[in-house]
Amino acid sequence: MCPAEDGPLTVVVADDHPIWRDAVERDLAAAGLSVVGAAGDGDKAVRVCAATRPQVLVCDLQMPGLSGVEVTRAVAPTGVRVLVLSASGEQADVLEAVKAGATGYLVKSASAAELVDAVRRTAAGDAVFTPGLAGLVLGEYRRMAAGPVDDGTPRLTDRETEVLRLVAKGLTARQVAERLVVSHRTVENHVQNTLSKLQLHNRAQLVRYALEKGLAD
Amino acid sequence: MRLDTALWRAIAVYRVAALLYAAGSMAVYTDTYRRPVLGWAVLAGMAAWTATATWLYSDPRRRGRPLLLADLALTLTALLSSVLVLEPGLVQAGDPTLTVSWAATPVIAWAVHGGWPAGLAAGAAVGAGALAERGGTPSQATVNSVVLLLLVGSVVGYVVTLARRAETAYARAVELQAAAAERERLSRQVHDGVLQALALVARRSSDPELARLGAEQERSLRRLVAGPVAGVPSGEADLRALLPSGADVEVAAPASPVLLPAATAGELAAAVGEAVANARRHGGGRAWLLVEDEPDAVTVSVRDDGPGIPPGRLEQAEAEGRLGVSRSIKGRLADLGGTVVVDSAPGRGTEVELRVPR
Repeated sequence: MCPAEDGPLTVVVADDHPIWRDAVERDLAAAGLSVVGAAGDGDKAVRVCAATRPQVLVCDLQMPGLSGVEVTRAVAPTGVRVLVLSASGEQADVLEAVKAGATGYLVKSASAAELVDAVRRTAAGDAVFTPGLAGLVLGEYRRMAAGPVDDGTPRLTDRETEVLRLVAKGLTARQVAERLVVSHRTVENHVQNTLSKLQLHNRAQLVRYALEKGLAD
Repeated sequence: MRLDTALWRAIAVYRVAALLYAAGSMAVYTDTYRRPVLGWAVLAGMAAWTATATWLYSDPRRRGRPLLLADLALTLTALLSSVLVLEPGLVQAGDPTLTVSWAATPVIAWAVHGGWPAGLAAGAAVGAGALAERGGTPSQATVNSVVLLLLVGSVVGYVVTLARRAETAYARAVELQAAAAERERLSRQVHDGVLQALALVARRSSDPELARLGAEQERSLRRLVAGPVAGVPSGEADLRALLPSGADVEVAAPASPVLLPAATAGELAAAVGEAVANARRHGGGRAWLLVEDEPDAVTVSVRDDGPGIPPGRLEQAEAEGRLGVSRSIKGRLADLGGTVVVDSAPGRGTEVELRVPR
């Protein structure tokens, strides 16, 4: 999948720290990506995304106004792919952002090359599955399985659990494929599925919650 | 202490009010006195002591045993002088003594200074003075006064002790709140400035050593300003917070705290630390940690991308007593009732799985 078929890949950068935001913009521009907008707070990030329709939003989690999670919830359904950039130690927020529709997460200490690569993969529709994210997703499925379970509670298949565990232990998709004797694409699909089920469940819960609130009023 | 200042001021007010009452009482009964002049002299002495004592007690450094004893002795003297001033029969009959309620002042002072035991002791002393002064079989009113004195001494002492404790607790709470607010302010500032700069250094530095240092410092500083995680019950610990960190260690863990009894968490984290050190030494430098929290067990996997251990080598090395680290890890886990599984093959790195049952 080559994202640069018709013009450069378009990106919006949202981060409330100007030095950091400028650095990210420069890194992306230097790699030939087109930064079509920038925002220093959550509300502006949503507005800029609506106006410029980028392929990818690179979004900080902690911002004034709407948080990174709320921004993700607002822009993900419009077709903008969200790559969350988080500082370490914000796992709970990262998980919320992923459930709200973000397809990738990168720690802020990642290198410029890793960032550019992650943005490209996000634009291509691949989940940017770092070991950290795999650990969070695995943990979330385990948490749900330990709580009250109903028909709507998503579960992992044995194979999906196996894949997530290997990714969380730092194996690349290629290494996982070798280890399980399956294709690289199959591994990607398994990973994608674990995320989709979580996001679907989260949306269903939000709808149910909204209906209950609506009916109660 | 604001409480003490207020209490001693209240005692001073009581002392003056009680003196005025004694003066009024004397004015009414002075006609019945055997030695009215001596009576007024005693009152003058009481007034002098009221002024002196108020001044003496105003300085916390002087509120000690000598002053309290002098207060009690002078009060008893004034109380007992009633025997000389009043007609003997009238004392017996229950006419008011010269000091009336002024005599209770040292009881309150002792109680405030030394708690209920001191208050009770002073109450007993003044009570004994009152009984001695009346002589013979004490009247109902006298017994009542003695009981009141004992009650005042013990109750005031007890309540003051409670109030002091409450004041200390309150001061501590205010202190903690201020510390928390300060930490909050500091962590906001660090988060908005230093952490961002460090992350930037880590990402943009062309010097890998500098980049690694930046990332490491960013991590440890963030952990520091984050402070203890809320929602961890006492006696338990969040395993995630105890695990080794660094630019060469990638940790995958659940989003919510992984709770274990504090001692268990500490031992498991120490074992993980040894496994990570092992991975750093023999395993190509990098290590990946996966923390899994299941209802019946907590599992930590430590993986490295090193050359791996050929089959049989591990057992061989262990038999020869060379694998000290591996043995220490196994020992720790065995003490916790857990298990260690080492999975390794040449070219595939080494994976150590530490599992502790809940």
